Amino acid sequence: MPKQQMIAMILAGGQGSRLGVLTEYIAKPAVPYGSKYRIIDFALSNCTNSGIETVGVLTQYSPLELNSYIGNGYSWDLDRNIGGLSILPPYQSLEGSDWYKGTANAIYQNITFIDNQNPDYVLVLSGDHIYKQDYREMLRAHIDAEAAATIAVREVPWEEASRFGIMNTDEAGNIIEFEEKPANPKSNLASMGVYIFTWKTLRAHLIADEKNPDSRNDFGQNIIPAMLADGEKMLAFTFDGYWKDVGTIFSLWESNMDLLDRPQEINLQDAMWRIYCRNTLQPSHYIGENASVVDSILTDGVEIYGDVKHSVISSGAVVEEGAEVRDSILMPGAVIKKGSKIDKCVVGIDTIIGENVEAGISVKDGREDFVNEKFCSDGITVFGSGLVIADNVKIKGNSMFFPIEEGQTCDVVLESTVLGII
Amino acid sequence: MLIDAMGIILADNGRVKLGELNDERALAATPFGGRYRIIDFMLSSMVNSGIKHIGILAETKYSSLMDHLGTGSHWDLDRLQQGLRIIPPYMQSDFFRSPNPQDLNGLYDFLKHSVHMYVVVAESNLISNINFTKFVKEHEKSGADVTVMYNHDADSLGSPNISLTFEDNKLVDLLIDPLVRTSDCSSLGAVVLTRTLLMDLLTQTISRGGSVFNTEFILEKYKELTIRGYENNDMTLRINSLATYFSASMRLLENDVLQKLFKSENRIYTKVKNESPARYLKGNHVSNSLLSDGCDISGNVENSVIFRGVRVGKHSKISNCIIMQDSVIRDGAELKNVIIDKDSVIRSGVRLQGSPDYPVVIRKGVIV
Repeated sequence: MPKQQMIAMILAGGQGSRLGVLTEYIAKPAVPYGSKYRIIDFALSNCTNSGIETVGVLTQYSPLELNSYIGNGYSWDLDRNIGGLSILPPYQSLEGSDWYKGTANAIYQNITFIDNQNPDYVLVLSGDHIYKQDYREMLRAHIDAEAAATIAVREVPWEEASRFGIMNTDEAGNIIEFEEKPANPKSNLASMGVYIFTWKTLRAHLIADEKNPDSRNDFGQNIIPAMLADGEKMLAFTFDGYWKDVGTIFSLWESNMDLLDRPQEINLQDAMWRIYCRNTLQPSHYIGENASVVDSILTDGVEIYGDVKHSVISSGAVVEEGAEVRDSILMPGAVIKKGSKIDKCVVGIDTIIGENVEAGISVKDGREDFVNEKFCSDGITVFGSGLVIADNVKIKGNSMFFPIEEGQTCDVVLESTVLGII
Repeated sequence: MLIDAMGIILADNGRVKLGELNDERALAATPFGGRYRIIDFMLSSMVNSGIKHIGILAETKYSSLMDHLGTGSHWDLDRLQQGLRIIPPYMQSDFFRSPNPQDLNGLYDFLKHSVHMYVVVAESNLISNINFTKFVKEHEKSGADVTVMYNHDADSLGSPNISLTFEDNKLVDLLIDPLVRTSDCSSLGAVVLTRTLLMDLLTQTISRGGSVFNTEFILEKYKELTIRGYENNDMTLRINSLATYFSASMRLLENDVLQKLFKSENRIYTKVKNESPARYLKGNHVSNSLLSDGCDISGNVENSVIFRGVRVGKHSKISNCIIMQDSVIRDGAELKNVIIDKDSVIRSGVRLQGSPDYPVVIRKGVIV
């Protein structure tokens, strides 16, 4: 097989447990985002646009939806004769079988896969960040500096620095220290979870790390500190574009709203850096006679007969007559029936909100029994996927609706189905 | 239900030209319905019916058609065996001289190397979500030489249309654009016959120097062959003139039509463009319209079909219009009953008005 300069390994196995019901059946990278995308579209499109032709997607948690969404990589131009896209779940071997224990262990278990591709460099990415980055620039810096590892960092506000993995660097941009969530940060350069490694060096460190029983086999906690301790040359590469970790309900909602309020920052219309996604086979969207749509983004298959303001509406979603949708995210196939008012809500895939429902932050006298502040904040209400919500209910903000168990009844969630939808 | 059939789609029809929309592109490649080309409907219908070996008979101006079809992957027709094949006219060479612009040897070769029992031959200018499975099965059962698909649509026939007269469900007369209609059966431009029969018909024609191939070519043989009819009551929109193209586009705004064409379990496939979602900006007012990804809408749009990547500026007024891909309507422009082809710009303050049976057409890439 011809030699590949750099291949990408996308870590897509995490549950994303802080997204609550949204990752009940699907892995976080497969969560819908921005009207027509899934979160992983950004990492995959960045790879394609950066000319990377071999991509391994490491899956573990609830991979069915993610696997069928990615397919053979065709939608991202990654269906190739040489290289292309491979989905890499944990597997059994003569030595036994093991789940991916940590991010580094996931790569360790696929050393053979990478060796077969025979790359000089390996790009390790998270599948759950929203950003557009040309990895070629980072690779150039890595090669020029003859580094063993290059880590993409971005400047965060000093007051937030203690929430991130912080890189302390010298004047030349070399990393001299890594601190995970430091109480008193010495720098405001936060890791973006984008790494380029010289494969030979990383390979040796992965093997050493695997032999250490105390290691949690994690890049941030183990591999990076170990490489620093060994005196490897580690470079910080500053990225100053839009980047968001959509790990919580609030950040997912906020990042969707960024597409409405600050569209130029991520600029999805950039013809030179398309974000690719799987086609939904739906017709153009329809706006009805008495509808009103302001300050919102829509995509194929949507039908609007009601009133939509400042919202993100995904493919095939329907807003019926007299319904009002504000500051909300409708995921693919969601239906808001006649007369319902939803405000600052996230409505899951194929969920049907009954007639005359009122839900969200502006509802004063609504039910409080579904309030769930473990996941929800800032008044955001979340309906899981595949739910049927009863007519005429009033629901307070910060609520979260889960599917009901078979045999169980609930006066708000009338029905629920486990979904596997593309 | 598997059927042993291949498909031939005719990219052009000598009698049909949609004005300036077909100046630079084949009829089959005419944009339609916000994100489609006319041929997508016939192609998707065949694919959804299990026909996986399809030849597109191209005649002229097929560059945009080839660009649209690519490898056929969007219709799942990029296959190791069979799949999609574009059949352009033969060029002349030392070994082969073709006196005719539409040469039938390419089609003959395509048929010769296929393995299927039946061939469905269809014109491309029919907007419908057709199930060919039953059509082929009925043909097989009837024992006829040829079966032609027709309906009783009388209102929106447009011209040209082919009126068929049957006696005991056997075709006995065929009239093109009759002044007085003697039958209420009109051809839908799709026939099925065996591959060997079609090859026989082609051999005879080629030997006589004939070069025209379309569905009439087969139907005109009603005296020698047993040709039966198959009635199709599905929702169908015929496109045979600029006026019917315009009215068919407007009918997509009817909910019933939209649901039947696009929202059944059989989807209509098309080339994917990866445009960003459409943005509805402040000051827009949109009603009863179809719009597509990549649009930025700041003005007023009613009763219109807007394709991908169109910009509609502030205070502009668009009503009863078809605006194709990547065109720009600047602030304050006013358009009524207008078709704007791709990549055109309508400048601020420009006002254009046509009438529904004679819409104004703005060519591709023009600044008005």
